[in-house]
Amino acid sequence: MKQKNSLEDFRHRLSRYGDGVHDRWLKTPGWQRWIVYALLIVGALLLPSESIGSFMSPYTDWASILFFPIGTYVVLAIGLNVVVGQAGLLDLGFVAFYAVGGYAMALIGTRLGWNFWLILLVGIGLCALSGITLGAPTLRLRGDYLAIVTLGFGEIIRITARNTDSIGGPNGIRAIPHPPSFPDVELFGIKIFKYGVLDPRPYYYLLVALAVIVIILVKRWEKSRVGRAWAAIREDEDAAEVMGVPTFRFKMLAFAIGASIGGAMGVLWAAKAISINPNDFQFLLSATILAAVVMGGAGNLPGVILGAFVVAWLPERFRGLQDYRMLIFGAVLVALMIFRPEGLLPSRQRKAELQEGSGGMGALGAEVPGPESHGEEVASK
Amino acid sequence: MLLEVKDIHVHYGKIAAIKGISVEVNEGEIVTLIGANGAGKTTTLKTISGLRGLTSGSIVFDGQDISKMPGHKRVIAGLGQAPEGRGVFPGMTVHDNLLMGAYTRSGDFAADLAEVYELFPRLAERRTQAGGTMSGGEQQMLAIGRALMAKPKVLLLDEPSMGLAPLMVQQIFSIIEEINRRGTTVLLVEQNAQQALKLAHRAYVLETGKVVKSAPAAELLDDPDVQAAYLGGGLGHEAPEAQA
Repeated sequence: MKQKNSLEDFRHRLSRYGDGVHDRWLKTPGWQRWIVYALLIVGALLLPSESIGSFMSPYTDWASILFFPIGTYVVLAIGLNVVVGQAGLLDLGFVAFYAVGGYAMALIGTRLGWNFWLILLVGIGLCALSGITLGAPTLRLRGDYLAIVTLGFGEIIRITARNTDSIGGPNGIRAIPHPPSFPDVELFGIKIFKYGVLDPRPYYYLLVALAVIVIILVKRWEKSRVGRAWAAIREDEDAAEVMGVPTFRFKMLAFAIGASIGGAMGVLWAAKAISINPNDFQFLLSATILAAVVMGGAGNLPGVILGAFVVAWLPERFRGLQDYRMLIFGAVLVALMIFRPEGLLPSRQRKAELQEGSGGMGALGAEVPGPESHGEEVASK
Repeated sequence: MLLEVKDIHVHYGKIAAIKGISVEVNEGEIVTLIGANGAGKTTTLKTISGLRGLTSGSIVFDGQDISKMPGHKRVIAGLGQAPEGRGVFPGMTVHDNLLMGAYTRSGDFAADLAEVYELFPRLAERRTQAGGTMSGGEQQMLAIGRALMAKPKVLLLDEPSMGLAPLMVQQIFSIIEEINRRGTTVLLVEQNAQQALKLAHRAYVLETGKVVKSAPAAELLDDPDVQAAYLGGGLGHEAPEAQA
């Protein structure tokens, strides 16, 4: 019992410290925030340097893993966060949209020979469309039922790709073209626009640019009427409807936006990968991205990014331990859920939802009591 | 007539929850639907606000058939609801909850906010508190205040007394009376028949999905049929306990 108290105490102190930092940030004037944003972007661009890499990933090429898995997971998590964290729809098949994007790049690139940028736009459109196609019949379901259907959708996409010989079947597609290069542009000795096979850094810079654009868009949506509608749907869908929020339309929008972000990442990833096959889009990836979102703090962008980074980076960092690294990875996940059940950097709103009992967990389907609440609150719902 | 529910039937799957209920609400009235658990009160209200579809029958509001209209459009038409179990947004502050109530409107809500804060001074004190951390009574106030922010012609209230202390129930009911006095029509669903009948002008007694009696509320206060609708368990809050 005593041990439990000290654990609880530690958790509270941790969360109070987080609140302090958050308050400070809210009071920071606009120009100082812009400096922080600029520094973060510069920091992201400087990340693939050798000196950082030797500590961060002694076993694998740091610049390579910065693109995949780290950067890829970050963008995917931002996309899934729109669906899970903001609109509160549990999606277990997010990898499907990543796959649609990847296959769009591979098929159009090899068969029609279109330019990468054009395919990126088409891929985003295709994914938004597939998000709506999936959403239209399924978004009438809620919670666990929606989760099961999306899980099925993810598998359908993968298995269809594997069994359709005209798109390569289990062998997938090879010789996917790279984005068009400008080999003459050189900055600090790096050819930043030379998209070849050897140097992963140009792709990483492209990914950073994509991530920045996506973050700006998502942040704008979050602060708008759309974001308020999503928050209302997440917290109480029926109440949102009787407030005059067209809940079905906004849920579709969340699906379409999430899918587009996943698809954009799929296109970019396939443009680097040269070859893709259906096994690149396993359910485990959906689960991992969901873990990143929940662990980082669903609904809070910095938290989600941090969560994705940790989930992608830890297994690479401890690659030297071979199979034991998964053991450590699992232990870290468990420890996080004990010490920070609401996620590494939860949003304050989500914390209040969790404390209320069912509100926050409604996003994760089941009506499960939150860490601080008691059974009866849920029973009264 | 402002709101007319004509012989509606509602099913949950194959189970009929409402088997032909007709309710009329005139402008300026407080009308109450009373009955025991499972009588179909909440389902009727949800059907009116558009959260449940109906199998047959129709709902006419303000001269317009709204039977097929989605719920969010009914808010614009003028139906405001404080849902069952209060339905306060737990993560939003009191202030943000109220603003969500005005979601369909544009322009300046300062006057409406001031009116809600005047009706419920407690909400003004808790302006920045998260909805989920408030007491049951405060949440009920917030749910009613939030519904008022949409400037409804008819306010639909689903068991505002549920789970509240008697003193709080008194307070909420006197505010409902005040809201009605200021010109909002109220359709009130209640299990607490005694309280509801004292407040309302007219009442409908529901039993297993049907209207068994409708009359001016005062006449029903000592009516044996009302007691029968509660399975002979007497009036008011004793009824559910007698069932248990």
